[in-house]
Amino acid sequence: MPYEVKEEAGKDGRKIFLIQKENLLELMTDLRKQGYDHLSLITAVDFRDRIELVYHLQKSASNFELLTVRTVTYDSTIDSVTSIWESANWDEREQYDMMGVVFRGHPNLKRILLPEGWVGYPLRKDYDLSKNQYVNMDDEGNDRVSFDPGDGW
Amino acid sequence: MEEQLNSRYVELNMGPQHPSTHGVLRLKLLLDGETVKNVEPIIGYLHRNAEKICELDYYCDSLIYFDRMDYVAAMNMEVGYLEAAEKLLAIEPPERVKWIRVIMAELNRLASHLVWAGAFGLDLGMITPFFYFFEEREKILNLFTEICGSRQETNYMSIGGVYQDFNDKIIFKIKQFLKQFPKKMEEAYSLFIKNDIFISRTKGIGILEPEVALSYGVTGPMLRASGVPYDVRKDAPYLVYDKLNFDIPISRGKDVLARCIVRFEEMRQSVKILNQALDKIPDGPYFNPKAKKSLMIRLRGEGDVYARTESPKGEFGVHLVGDGTVKPYRLHVRSPAFKNLSILPFLARDVLIADMVAISGSIDLVFGEVDR
Repeated sequence: MPYEVKEEAGKDGRKIFLIQKENLLELMTDLRKQGYDHLSLITAVDFRDRIELVYHLQKSASNFELLTVRTVTYDSTIDSVTSIWESANWDEREQYDMMGVVFRGHPNLKRILLPEGWVGYPLRKDYDLSKNQYVNMDDEGNDRVSFDPGDGW
Repeated sequence: MEEQLNSRYVELNMGPQHPSTHGVLRLKLLLDGETVKNVEPIIGYLHRNAEKICELDYYCDSLIYFDRMDYVAAMNMEVGYLEAAEKLLAIEPPERVKWIRVIMAELNRLASHLVWAGAFGLDLGMITPFFYFFEEREKILNLFTEICGSRQETNYMSIGGVYQDFNDKIIFKIKQFLKQFPKKMEEAYSLFIKNDIFISRTKGIGILEPEVALSYGVTGPMLRASGVPYDVRKDAPYLVYDKLNFDIPISRGKDVLARCIVRFEEMRQSVKILNQALDKIPDGPYFNPKAKKSLMIRLRGEGDVYARTESPKGEFGVHLVGDGTVKPYRLHVRSPAFKNLSILPFLARDVLIADMVAISGSIDLVFGEVDR
């Protein structure tokens, strides 16, 4: 293999692969070829100086056995895996929306749960919870976000 | 404007306030006559960011936000969270608690499928089955009221145990309910399956191939209706599901009708599980003394765990990260309805609007869970 994979066992006994983020796409392509055809979930954990991306994969041929792939990004960007699994599309949009991770090569990277124009990424540890944001609709029917309480519903 | 007038396509908004969108789903349709050319689901109208709220709360307090995710199957959500939390905090529930949780989860699975069946009938323009199914569901909710004091958002379980023990009266009442339930269910089921209009509205509509379903991350009855026998209760047993005898129904129909049949067969299997569990439930304590009420807010966890359970909609996963304090560092919920909804644009291409309603009905959407 042209890249290095570190393997360890999780607290609950599941298999975990640790990988450099440059090699993520290669590893994922290989895993897809090995029969991991179900990408169950993509999640991100904010450790203030870095963001950890966690992928849970399953193999349909062997009882949906679980495999976790973990990688770390320091500049909030990572390669998108939408070309390998379709389900990455909404998952990556959710992580972009909530965590501000930019997935390079994603076909339609925009917010999914929050309206466009929302300021900040709520699941980041430095997100300011004391500032309220209000959502309203403009004449075109699009969402408009502002900090002015009079502008809300 | 000029462009819109000359185009043969019409853009139409369906929802967020529309009876057959099951809550607050907004669909942006691109129509050619009555044929749907493109669908863009817009979600987030019920978004509360439960994940962030849970980060700010103690481990034991997060439970009530799970009740409000899939609000028609609150017990299954609680089981899903507790599987992860108990793994992280290293607290093993007593044997009796595991059986009680299985009973409650299966009762709620019945209730959830009954809601789906009623709403699905409404989507297709049949109002009668709705009353039959909701009558049965009401009986389950009455049982819940007696056991935990509330109907839907039950808040019944807690870390390492349950809030109140079962007694003989409750077990008797559940058995009484189960005695009359199959007959009533089959009666209402025949309103679906013996109805020619229903069959012609559902058969061959929304064909979903297993490879596509797996690639989109679809789970639950939708995946099983495509012929993939994935059920977490069998493939990675939790609680006491490995001690129970039940089957995983699959169908090779791949269409809306197959999803309907699979869900009804699942209800029959749930009745089977309940009958076994009620007979086998052992005696013992109903909470772990390590997690009694006064110690609850001092529980600390470190590391990360991922627990998956089978909710009525599919694989419900909780990824929980602890940093050694009394609050979770990060909590992520894999919502099955969110993943199942993502396949709607694929399924509803080049179908009639009425068929698209049938397809979105067959997904079984609950927006508390999609938006979290």
